[in-house]
Amino acid sequence: MTGNKKIGWVSVLAGLAAFAVPAAVLAADGKIPDPAADWNHLFGHVLLDIIIIGVAFGGWGAYMLVKYRATAPGQVGQGPKLSVAQAIALAVIPAVVFMADDFYLAANGWVLWNTQRTVPAGALEIRMTANQFYWDFDFGNGVTATNEIKVPVGKPVVMRMTSNDVVHSFGIPDFRIKEDAVPGRKTFLWFVAQKPGRYLATCGEYCGMSHAQMGAWIEAVPQADYDAWIKSQQHASAPQPSNS
Amino acid sequence: MNTLKEWVFSTDHKRIGILYLVGSFAAFGLAGIAALIIRLQQYAPGMDVAQGQAYYNALYFHAAAMILAFLIPGLTGFFGNYMLPIMIGAKDMAFPRLNAFSVWLYLMGVVLALISMAVPDAPDVLWTGYPPYSVRTTANTAFYVFTVHLLGFSSIVGAINIIVTVACMRAPGVGWNQLPMLVWTVLAALVINLIFIPVLGAAVTMLLTDKYMGTHFFDAAAGGDALLYQNLFWFYSHPAVYVIFLPAMGVLFEVISTMGQNPVFNYKAAVYGGVFGVAALSGEVWVHHLYTSGLPDWIRIGMTVTTLLISVPVGIMIISLWGTLYKAALRYNIAMYYAAACLFFVLVGGLTGIPLAVVSMTVHLAKTAYVHAHFHYVMALFSTFAIFSGVYFWFPKMTNRFAETALGKAGFWLSFIGANVTFAPLFVVGVAGMPRRYWDYDQFPTWFASYHHVSTYGAFIMGAGMLLALINFVYCAFAGEKCKSANPWNSNSLEWTHTVSPPGPGNFLHDVSVPAGWSPYQYTAR
Amino acid sequence: MVHLFRVRLALVTAICLAVLVGPARAQWSPYSESEVDPSLFRIDEGRFLGVKPDAALTFRDEKGKAFSFGEMTGQPLILVLSYYNCDGTCSVVNKDLGDLLKEVKGQVPGRDYRILTVSFDPKDTAESLAKFRAKFEVPAPVLAAWRFALPANEGDAKRLADSIGFKFFWSPRDRQFLHPGVFAFLSAEGRVVRFLYSASSRPLDVELALIDAKQNQIKPTEIFDLALSLCYSYNYKDGKYQVNYPLFIGFGSLVFGIVSLLVSILVYKRRARKGELLR
Repeated sequence: MTGNKKIGWVSVLAGLAAFAVPAAVLAADGKIPDPAADWNHLFGHVLLDIIIIGVAFGGWGAYMLVKYRATAPGQVGQGPKLSVAQAIALAVIPAVVFMADDFYLAANGWVLWNTQRTVPAGALEIRMTANQFYWDFDFGNGVTATNEIKVPVGKPVVMRMTSNDVVHSFGIPDFRIKEDAVPGRKTFLWFVAQKPGRYLATCGEYCGMSHAQMGAWIEAVPQADYDAWIKSQQHASAPQPSNS
Repeated sequence: MNTLKEWVFSTDHKRIGILYLVGSFAAFGLAGIAALIIRLQQYAPGMDVAQGQAYYNALYFHAAAMILAFLIPGLTGFFGNYMLPIMIGAKDMAFPRLNAFSVWLYLMGVVLALISMAVPDAPDVLWTGYPPYSVRTTANTAFYVFTVHLLGFSSIVGAINIIVTVACMRAPGVGWNQLPMLVWTVLAALVINLIFIPVLGAAVTMLLTDKYMGTHFFDAAAGGDALLYQNLFWFYSHPAVYVIFLPAMGVLFEVISTMGQNPVFNYKAAVYGGVFGVAALSGEVWVHHLYTSGLPDWIRIGMTVTTLLISVPVGIMIISLWGTLYKAALRYNIAMYYAAACLFFVLVGGLTGIPLAVVSMTVHLAKTAYVHAHFHYVMALFSTFAIFSGVYFWFPKMTNRFAETALGKAGFWLSFIGANVTFAPLFVVGVAGMPRRYWDYDQFPTWFASYHHVSTYGAFIMGAGMLLALINFVYCAFAGEKCKSANPWNSNSLEWTHTVSPPGPGNFLHDVSVPAGWSPYQYTAR
Repeated sequence: MVHLFRVRLALVTAICLAVLVGPARAQWSPYSESEVDPSLFRIDEGRFLGVKPDAALTFRDEKGKAFSFGEMTGQPLILVLSYYNCDGTCSVVNKDLGDLLKEVKGQVPGRDYRILTVSFDPKDTAESLAKFRAKFEVPAPVLAAWRFALPANEGDAKRLADSIGFKFFWSPRDRQFLHPGVFAFLSAEGRVVRFLYSASSRPLDVELALIDAKQNQIKPTEIFDLALSLCYSYNYKDGKYQVNYPLFIGFGSLVFGIVSLLVSILVYKRRARKGELLR
């Protein structure tokens, strides 16, 4: 039991120490982080964590359910009578162990959270406005698009979002990120596409009968293709003289 | 005719408890049918069972009825009314007429929920009713608001009643440290209810005035804030999860301790650490429902810590539950089958909640089928199976008959297998990005459909199992095997030892008093 | 239910009234007369909230020192677009802001925020700036945190105005510039967080906007600022902050829940003492 306790305290200290880490991580080299990969990495850890706890408790429970069946009618359980010290220890020790695990997870979660909420310098800014049931994108240089956009590969992209009508939620499963678009508020998320490809963005927050069909496609292309696309869009959307 | 009158005007807590049970099982059945419709629509992309509006009507009804009309009233209403006064040796509730009022409010709420499905433009606001959608929609949000009003008011009245009963009407000798776990857990749940439900009531009322009377409480353009509703809503509705979880735990403690003839392990830790801890933390974690809502970053990381810390009191309760199995003398009846299944569900449901407590994990998992699967394990399956376990366990008390039939066993196995077949695949598609509340998903990879196929088959297996269990209850209530004693499971709790089955008016033949050192978990060899 | 709500409503009204008294005492300046529909000048907040003016824009301040816009970020900033030349009518927007800031007690100029006025009048010179500043009367701490500037390059003022959706034009008939009297509140990051209009702003609005501009940077010692900002929400239609009623209603309901718990136990105890109950 004392051994257990020691492990618990060590983990608490480790957890607390991990709280101090984020600042250091951020100050590291100027490389663009990859939050999606970090997410996968952390999810792997959490999965391992919960599988270990699950198998331990599940196995222990199943063993007892089978092992401690009554063998004779009228039999009474032989559960231990706890002394006060034992009772307190058996509450405090698990509490410390659980807390240690909590702080460990919270600290790791915080590191990733800082990555997710710190937009790298020089990110491409896109203003997004959600509507029932489509997404409007404004690149800020005269280029606007609905539901289909292109972004450069390897360059961080930040979406500054709001909504025209109801609450929507802009989520890109492949980039492991999601944030609501709320009327009257400005929210943001950022991502970086590591590989060229077409990535689906979905609406996460229920917004009406066509909620299930409110998707957008984000196509990640090399920078040169992106520049060409922007140019062609600017050309296409230039104001016609007759309209003025 | 006389029988009807007796039931309608009854102020007997046992009759009222039965009314709660019947009402909640009715809501359960209907909400279950809605669930099957939802699963059929999700069977494959392009299904045409309930598209668009119809899908969201079904979703609204399923969630609102399951949570507000089945789980909460089933656990706090039925167990709280029928079992609680007898367990503490009281003759009735503190305010019997208030009690009757509360059950009829509840039944009216269930009826209103049903009517809302029959009117044109049925509510389509889910059970959360987020503005601005719920204000802008052409559907009848008012039905949602009034249903919440009725059920919420019923809960408040019921909560006051039971809290006062437990606080003031315990039989001589029944001290706080001798209360059965079910009493503690229901009590904690009702304190949560009483404190937090008014907030929900206020939130939905402001929704009502926004929609129909032109106020701008939640209209961002005119000084309101749409996010504030979400905060107020979850300020009650997250604690509501514990209103469901705690009494379900209480039922399990009763069943496992009695069927194992083993006292609750580390009782005081379970009560003062577990039950009190959950109740105290329940109001400080709601933001994890709003992890992607655009609240300030520091609130989101702060609530990550409080949410994770919920694992401490819950963990203490789990250790007590597991410890109660240690060196027990387990006898298996159907109640014990359900209880064993609950142990599995609470593990899966609780542990899959850990990633959802961490904000940086949740920004991907939020609003996906992963969340859907998680809370169905921990809230729907765990609590529903606990209710079934409790009903099987106290069936002899209520009817003087057993419900131990092959039909009941078949019902259990179908439900248990079906439940896992339904929800396990949803974890997988959820992590891959399948959003919740989608009636169509043809933009996603085709393999998603195979998982949804399996899930839909599972739902029907589970539905069949639940149906068999309900049939079994009705059949056995009238034609089940008669009990030979008033205490067939050899419990030491007052409802078994001090009265007949079913207890008559006034519950006990003589005034109850227990000797010093008495405990509901003192088992003696027969 | 109805009865209960009446009780609840009474409670909530009491709280709200108490809260309302504070702001109601504050004055706001009368609407300046203009023949142009002021709504024409309103900034499209849906588009321009959250934008970040180019940090590379350069200005010269009252001492003739050149600086970039980026140097002004790092703490909340109130940005005013105006002019110094008083040939026709003087711009009153600076004076309005100065009067408001005089009343803002909770936020300290220089420590919590800075102010930058940029002229969009190409005719403004270092002399007209100096003349304007010499006559400008605000308390010393506010003035110390206030920078008056001219664009270093032609077109920079226009670029700055366009980037935050600020509209202005010269009216030959009135012989003056027509422009909105607007204060833009920028976060430390340099993003526009809030627009306030001089015609409708009270000192409280300015204070709340400054707290908003701190965004995620609120320190634990500034918990009262946070509490204050929670009590109000911004009304886009009226262009000012108003009491956050739903929060108080929700909080009132919570109090109601706790009180009803206590009252029910007390009532029962009293009845039990009087022996009115079967037991």
